[in-house]
Amino acid sequence: MPAPPRQNRVTLRKTVISCAVLAAALLFAIVFMSLIGSESLPVRASLCALASFGRSSCGLTSDQFDILFQIRLPRILLAAAVGGSLATAGAGYQALLRNPLAEPYLLGISNGAAVGTMIALVFFGAMEWTRPLLAFTGALLATLAVYRLARGRAGATPERLILAGVIVTTFLSSVIIFVTTLMDATRIRSFTFWLLGDLSGMGRGLLPVTITVAIVGALALTLNARSLNLLMLGERDAFDLGVEVGRVRVMVFVIASLLVGSSVAASGSVGYVGLVVPHLARLSLGSDNRISIPAAALGGAVFVIVADTLARTLIAPRELPVGAITALIGAPLFIYLLKRA
Amino acid sequence: MLEARDLTVSYDHRIAVADLSLTLKPREITAIIGPNGAGKSTLLRALNGHVHASSGTIVLDGQPIERLSRRTISRRIAVVAQEAELRFPVTVLEFVLGGRFAWATNAGWGWESERDLQIAGAVLRETELSDLSGRLMNELSGGERQRALMARALATEASILLLDEPTANLDLSHQANLLSLVRNRCNRNETAALVVTHDINLAAQFADHLLLMKQGRAVHSGTPREVLQPEILQEVFEVRVLVDAHPVTGGPRVTPIHDPHSSV
Repeated sequence: MPAPPRQNRVTLRKTVISCAVLAAALLFAIVFMSLIGSESLPVRASLCALASFGRSSCGLTSDQFDILFQIRLPRILLAAAVGGSLATAGAGYQALLRNPLAEPYLLGISNGAAVGTMIALVFFGAMEWTRPLLAFTGALLATLAVYRLARGRAGATPERLILAGVIVTTFLSSVIIFVTTLMDATRIRSFTFWLLGDLSGMGRGLLPVTITVAIVGALALTLNARSLNLLMLGERDAFDLGVEVGRVRVMVFVIASLLVGSSVAASGSVGYVGLVVPHLARLSLGSDNRISIPAAALGGAVFVIVADTLARTLIAPRELPVGAITALIGAPLFIYLLKRA
Repeated sequence: MLEARDLTVSYDHRIAVADLSLTLKPREITAIIGPNGAGKSTLLRALNGHVHASSGTIVLDGQPIERLSRRTISRRIAVVAQEAELRFPVTVLEFVLGGRFAWATNAGWGWESERDLQIAGAVLRETELSDLSGRLMNELSGGERQRALMARALATEASILLLDEPTANLDLSHQANLLSLVRNRCNRNETAALVVTHDINLAAQFADHLLLMKQGRAVHSGTPREVLQPEILQEVFEVRVLVDAHPVTGGPRVTPIHDPHSSV
């Protein structure tokens, strides 16, 4: 059978339509996942209350209203911001390292951010704002380390990239263990849970920061998407064709580290999102970053919302860390991609 | 017009190009030949502003190249390097449209204009790739990929083409086709071309001007007839050669002589 005709290129129209569909899916996920949980809420009244943005209770009891607006909705919005951030960062790292296997968690960059967050918690516990700041610093340093280790003459080959990720991850894991031993025993359990990716607890206060960083980061990378398209074909090619490689590289370093830093500070290390989502976006819409980055941002938000809903309902009333769900989906895909690489 | 004046490039205290002057003129193909490590590729990268000169200057249309923005340079100089890395699926059309990057305007929000698409269509026809425009680059044969690289360079509409071993992966007919494309572009669009190559006979056939390099220096330059002399080639390549007239073109033809009893 002949292959179906492929669209030769991505157009603005196709991008707008795809993003509109994904934005509708995101809205749908936000609304309907907020109705799902161990406590069942009346559907009609909840939809009415959500549509009024919480101005009217629409007959919900005050407990139900609080569950919807104080517990579920912030958690779902945080899941959306974290998912969008990690997927966007993944797409950015993949362009920067010229390798579709690049992913913040697998490269140890999430661990860098985790070390930063833990240092903030242990030494500056009272100052919540230090968490995203140190997480960003940690992510940036880990990114630089991976970039230096992985980059060969011909870009980052899969072997070099994964090796660099293993080195950075294991080194930072031992730093994490060291910092953990400085904590008191009662906090260690909640930290272990958080390290695996957890949207239930400590990130709420960081919700506005995380959402802002996710939106600004995705926009900034999308606006530079055409440069990233050329960067994916090699730095020398990109340079020859007119890309200011140095400037774009620094921009991706900083934006991707900000995205990872803010999401890790809020929710720990949720793995594989940056691998799974950009891959699916490219598979269905093509490699052009002008469409795959915004699509990955929106798709990542939906993906983590769904994964987190599973995490909090599968064995309810107990919860799984969301990172366990994303890894369960991501690890097999990673093996598949590695075999193809 | 692109000009190198007394150009010296050094890496880690090693001189790669020494005191070299060169002018690329419209409608002319210049070929650089010389042994491995002679500094040919470094010269090409210096001419494009990719490596900096330790001394001397490179002048593009009357201005020192370091004063021009990357985009301005890329609108005037196109490079055909060796094969691109293709770890992500890219269609041929998308790949060729990469050549229009330097012409993007803020008004277009980073999207290609109608004109960009027309130019891409024209160069795809010119390189006989129109039928493959929707195919993925990594599904193409080596020769087709090399033509796509050429198409992308032509899509820049640059008036200077720098080609680094453009025929290395090509069979005989594709080698000639590719160089005919360069020749046509030079004649029709007032373009100047510089080709770095190991293939002396191909250079003899297509180039108007030859520059022979050894250890970073330009040791001889002139027309193929002037440069391709047995004693000159023997001195530079350290191998005995026979130079005779090509039976069809009449131009010089170089054949190395492998004499097992000779030490030279």
